[in-house]
Amino acid sequence: MLHYLLKRLFLAVPMLWLLATLVFLLSRLLPGSYASESILQEGNGYYAKGSTTDRTLAYQQYLIRTGQNLPLFYFSITSSASLPDSIFQIIPEGAQNTIQQLAWRTGNWKEVYTFWRKLQELKQQASPTQLQAFAPYLRTITATSDAQQRVQAARAITKYDATLQPAQELYKLALKLQKQQGSLNFMIPSFRWHGTANQYHRWLASLLRGNFGTSYRDNRNVTEVIMEASANTFWIIFTSMLLTTLAALEISIKLVQPKYNQWRKAVMPVLFLIDSIPLFVLALLFLVLFASPAFLQLFPVYGLGYSHGGQSWLEQTSRTLPYLALPILCLSLAHLPYLANQFYNALSEAKAMDYTRTAQAKGLPPEVIIRRHVLRNALLPIITLLSDFLPGLIAGSVVIETIFAIPGTGRLLITSVQARDYPILVAIVLAVALAKVVSHVVADVCYAYADPRIRYKTAS
Amino acid sequence: MKRLLRDVQQLWQDKLAFRLAAVYLVLLVVLVLVLPWLPLPFAPNYLDLNHLFQPPFSDVTGAVNIHWFGTDALGRDVMTETLYGARTGLFISIPVVITSTFIGLVLGASAGFFGDNRLKISKAALLLLPLLLFLLFYLGLYLPLQIQQYRLPSTGIWLSWGILVLCTAVLWLLLRLAPQKAFWFRSEIKFPLDMLIIRAIEVVSSVPWLILVLLLASFMPPSVVLLSLILTLTNWTHTARLARAEMLRIREMPYIEAGRTLGFTDVQLVFRQALPNMLGPVMVVVGFSLAGLLTLESTLSFLGIGLPPTVVSWGRTITGIRSNTSAWWLVAFPGGFLALTVLALQTFSYYMRFLLKKG
Amino acid sequence: MRKLHVLGYSLLLLFLCFCSQPDRVPDEVRVRLAGEPETLNPVSYNTAGSLQVINLLFQSLMTVDLADDQIKPALAMAQPDIVQRDSLTYISYLLRQEAEWTNGSPVTAADVAFTLKVLKAPLLNNEQMKPQVAFIRDILIDKADYKKFTFVCEGYTPEMELLTGDFFILPAYLFDPEGKLEAFKVSDFAGDVSALESNKDLQNFAARYNSADYARNKNLLQGSGGYILSEWVPGQYLTLKRKDDWWGNHVDDNTQALTANPQQISFQIIPDNTTALLALRNRQLDVLENIQAAEFNQLKSDKSFTENYALYTPDSYQFAYIGLNSRLPKLSDKRTRQAIANLLDISSFIKVSQQSYATPTVGPVPPAIKPYYNNKLKPYTYNLQKATALLQAAGWQQKTDGWFKNINGKEQQLTLELSYRAGNTVFESAALIFQQGAAKAGIPVTVQAQEGSLFSQKAKAHEFDMFFRSLSGNPFVFNFKPLFYTSYANDGPNYTGFGTQESDNILDAYNEAEEESDKARLLKRLQEILHEEATFIALYYQKDRLAVHRRFGNLKISGLEPNYDVSSFTLKE
Repeated sequence: MLHYLLKRLFLAVPMLWLLATLVFLLSRLLPGSYASESILQEGNGYYAKGSTTDRTLAYQQYLIRTGQNLPLFYFSITSSASLPDSIFQIIPEGAQNTIQQLAWRTGNWKEVYTFWRKLQELKQQASPTQLQAFAPYLRTITATSDAQQRVQAARAITKYDATLQPAQELYKLALKLQKQQGSLNFMIPSFRWHGTANQYHRWLASLLRGNFGTSYRDNRNVTEVIMEASANTFWIIFTSMLLTTLAALEISIKLVQPKYNQWRKAVMPVLFLIDSIPLFVLALLFLVLFASPAFLQLFPVYGLGYSHGGQSWLEQTSRTLPYLALPILCLSLAHLPYLANQFYNALSEAKAMDYTRTAQAKGLPPEVIIRRHVLRNALLPIITLLSDFLPGLIAGSVVIETIFAIPGTGRLLITSVQARDYPILVAIVLAVALAKVVSHVVADVCYAYADPRIRYKTAS
Repeated sequence: MKRLLRDVQQLWQDKLAFRLAAVYLVLLVVLVLVLPWLPLPFAPNYLDLNHLFQPPFSDVTGAVNIHWFGTDALGRDVMTETLYGARTGLFISIPVVITSTFIGLVLGASAGFFGDNRLKISKAALLLLPLLLFLLFYLGLYLPLQIQQYRLPSTGIWLSWGILVLCTAVLWLLLRLAPQKAFWFRSEIKFPLDMLIIRAIEVVSSVPWLILVLLLASFMPPSVVLLSLILTLTNWTHTARLARAEMLRIREMPYIEAGRTLGFTDVQLVFRQALPNMLGPVMVVVGFSLAGLLTLESTLSFLGIGLPPTVVSWGRTITGIRSNTSAWWLVAFPGGFLALTVLALQTFSYYMRFLLKKG
Repeated sequence: MRKLHVLGYSLLLLFLCFCSQPDRVPDEVRVRLAGEPETLNPVSYNTAGSLQVINLLFQSLMTVDLADDQIKPALAMAQPDIVQRDSLTYISYLLRQEAEWTNGSPVTAADVAFTLKVLKAPLLNNEQMKPQVAFIRDILIDKADYKKFTFVCEGYTPEMELLTGDFFILPAYLFDPEGKLEAFKVSDFAGDVSALESNKDLQNFAARYNSADYARNKNLLQGSGGYILSEWVPGQYLTLKRKDDWWGNHVDDNTQALTANPQQISFQIIPDNTTALLALRNRQLDVLENIQAAEFNQLKSDKSFTENYALYTPDSYQFAYIGLNSRLPKLSDKRTRQAIANLLDISSFIKVSQQSYATPTVGPVPPAIKPYYNNKLKPYTYNLQKATALLQAAGWQQKTDGWFKNINGKEQQLTLELSYRAGNTVFESAALIFQQGAAKAGIPVTVQAQEGSLFSQKAKAHEFDMFFRSLSGNPFVFNFKPLFYTSYANDGPNYTGFGTQESDNILDAYNEAEEESDKARLLKRLQEILHEEATFIALYYQKDRLAVHRRFGNLKISGLEPNYDVSSFTLKE
């Protein structure tokens, strides 16, 4: 048995790794990064706090410091006309798209990069009056996709001041680029090898050492952050799952018996009705009905209450319990119909078996039959259901935590996606997948406990 | 199949709930289809800026048209919103359910049918498969996307797709005309299709769909097509698992073996014998999936992800209550309609399952 | 089985035990934060909530007194002396004699120098504030008086005085107990710093400073302000306690800008607006700002609520505007843009999202600032005939399915793509209203919600037709040069491409003008040009809505964020 379980856990590791890699790579597709909005923000007030060049420079320093300037993976396959990432990051945000577009059109990114550098040199060397005169031409050069217009604008700049060296070189480059316009170089793929200096390798290396990294937002250890958040979510999910299972079992046991037939006709539609209400509507409803001074004030509105340090574990639990009541009830009620329905199906299938008739013939009361015989045989599908239930609960907890202002994994997930806090994001996904694997393994143990046949089969 | 229809007829006569549910669903579909031609007082998305947050059944003298169900924050008529919201909900959910069921069926059935041992691919084909996948990704997806993003002439897209087709043809010819001498290349090995598909199902289903949807919707602009795509990609696992389980069960059935001795090919067996028998349980799942998708859409609106603001949807109307908690009509009418529809769908599926168990 | 039942039912009973509220200290103010502050580091803070908390813990040289919206000296004794010589500006400050840190040691110019080093050094988590102080090249500390120092700044702009007083001063004894940065000079960090990146001392300091300690540790984040952080439960609440004998209470020239009245301030983290409102109605919050307009109206009519809470609507300095991309050929004609401006139904925008809590404006100057506001101009209103006439004058021809014009030899239809930041419901409503209004004129408008960073990228790359944005202003400095100067149209904050020769001259002249009347005249003319060009169309200035418990007085309600000064709240007897 133990051997089988260990094998299961061992086989789960590659799957977890694959999942983590996928999420890692997928999440980096998100545009922007944590600090891009705050460092690069400008034009939001009546005066500028720092010039654009200073901000771009500071942003690049931020990327280098946090390691986000490195390439993403060990290798990258892009078109040969595309600018390599390391060069691409140096170009300020506003110009990135146009430069990349130019590179793709001419198929020669080196020349385009030199062209852009010459343009910057020209802007630095020219005097303010010259700059003002050049402004429309500079605009044409960067904005247009027509090579002829670019060449004409470059020539117009050279006419202004023959001594400006960058202007002459710019003109020559523009002519060269015009010749290459429309080339099909972009179709050829290029394979760039980055070696171990990439973000993925660094992440994997620290992961293998047991270090999940630090959050981008406050530099705290990711494990610490997730442990903190999971503590609350775990209690909510565990308790609500316990409640739902108990209630669903009770309901389905009662409904499966023939004497409750009338009840079944009424209860099933009510369960379906509850199932059809979206979770957030249910949560808002609970909030308005049970926690508002307008109706019944049974529960507190939000959060987890005040804790004064130095209390025993029991005191603290009893203090936070009322705050958790509404969220737990809400989550339980939302998932009750589904579980009750499934349990009912499993039980009625097991009830149709021959051994039920035997037990009836023996003279046992129907309630005892269900609890003692039918239930044990229906346990396998029930356990499968419960172990598959976990991702759905996590999704539900996101909504609950937002509405009831409870800090938990769900809220952490949403805020980390919005803030592009990748280490936390990947760690949460891994944690959830790990929890699912663990729940599968626990389910297997329960199978073995419930069905002796499985115990012997896996042992042999 | 015929037996199924006969049982449905029986069910119709017996159970009132089934009749109600079926009638409601049929009426809903008819309503959704003829909606553009119905003479509604207000067009969808029409903003009546003089009547914001008007309660339902309010008596407004001198008004040309009355807002029977009230209005929302922008003065949109709630009755029109509810009806057109049903249309949007069904128009999104039904294609998503059909596509994801199709994908799930194909993947699950082939995983169940071929297992780990039945599918044989020549080694040459196996070696060329990654190359083909790479070409597919690079020429078929990456280049056209970049061409569109950088506004290059669109002849480039046709060119890259043309080259893709050409390369595929060349590879296929290569496989066919591979030299007889290279026996090692032509020998076949077993392709572990089942294991691959199971792993894929596990990976996709162990990430809570919310995370996937959040990630994918975070950087894509809100649009109906993208939302449908995301929903399809996250919803196929349930059907796939079910189809695989069913196929494993059916595979051992005597009639499959009989068909094989009669000389039917694999494809014929799958399509004409196995699939019709799987349809029952899959149909039940379809009913529940549809109900789930309808609710999912409104939850996504609550979280601020999903459809663009010009698309009428129940979620958009329900979320309006967040800016004015006393506007109960914004939740009551679309929410009630949603609840009724989900109830009908679930009752329908419940009785179908009931029926299949009997049969 | 039965035992499990008993467990389940007893759990349920436990839940229903709660019937009373936790007791509270009357001298404690409960404020709502809309999100977790994440970090309380005075250099790398990122959210408005964290700024509010840090303002109570740390101080800067100058501060804004919300009672009269004036800049008053905080750590400094008085307004600075500004001397311009060569191409440099010398800004001199004198620190208050009484100013001291939590451990009693005085705040000195050495602390200011240390702060500058932290703000400018490489390898540190300071990229947010670095560009802001890039213009400060060096600091000269007076040999005789350790409280006197001078900033050496490059060039001169009117907001320099504001910027030098804007950053929080850090205590060197807490942030650098081993004195690792003492070997460096502030001027070392100006210019090329790549040589310093391999310096061992700097690397050690960076490793220590970048750690989570300096984001969350309450023993290290103590400044010269009136409060210290006593507790921070992540995700739930923060509590600040007043210092026992704060130096700010003994300051002689009581400008009323240095206050620390409440004994305890507790910040509750409630992300959802509906929950926060419910908490307010439940008397669990003392202050709530940013209340939805419809809810605010309901609160006004609720007698039991207004008994305990007072409602305020100060005029804020935040306004919404529409930017049109004047570089596009279809929008390059001024009359086309004016026609679009005449299709803006500003009063409906206000009615839908702000109810009556906003004032239409003609330009970026607030209507509340009467000397500078050009009240001869009228804000744009919805005028279909005028719009049609303007379009025809600009050369557009109305056909059955829209407006067409011959541009560069091709027949182009007038369509608009209106983009705004996704998640902003105010702009979403306004966009839909505009879409309906423009449809009446025959202009098809597509409404596009774009994700935050994508929206910024497109604005910087000038890839938009029309966008909605908001701007937060202030009553001290009106330096509109970055927004409206033509040279910033290529790669600066002037996304719309606005600018004429005259507007450039006005912007230059304004920065050099000394007389109030000159400034007023120039600004009014600028507003006229903006109104006429219709590239940057300001819509309305909003009023903020907040509720405060009646037991507190001396609230300092103001239009500047966060609309009230919690440190000055006094319990009424």
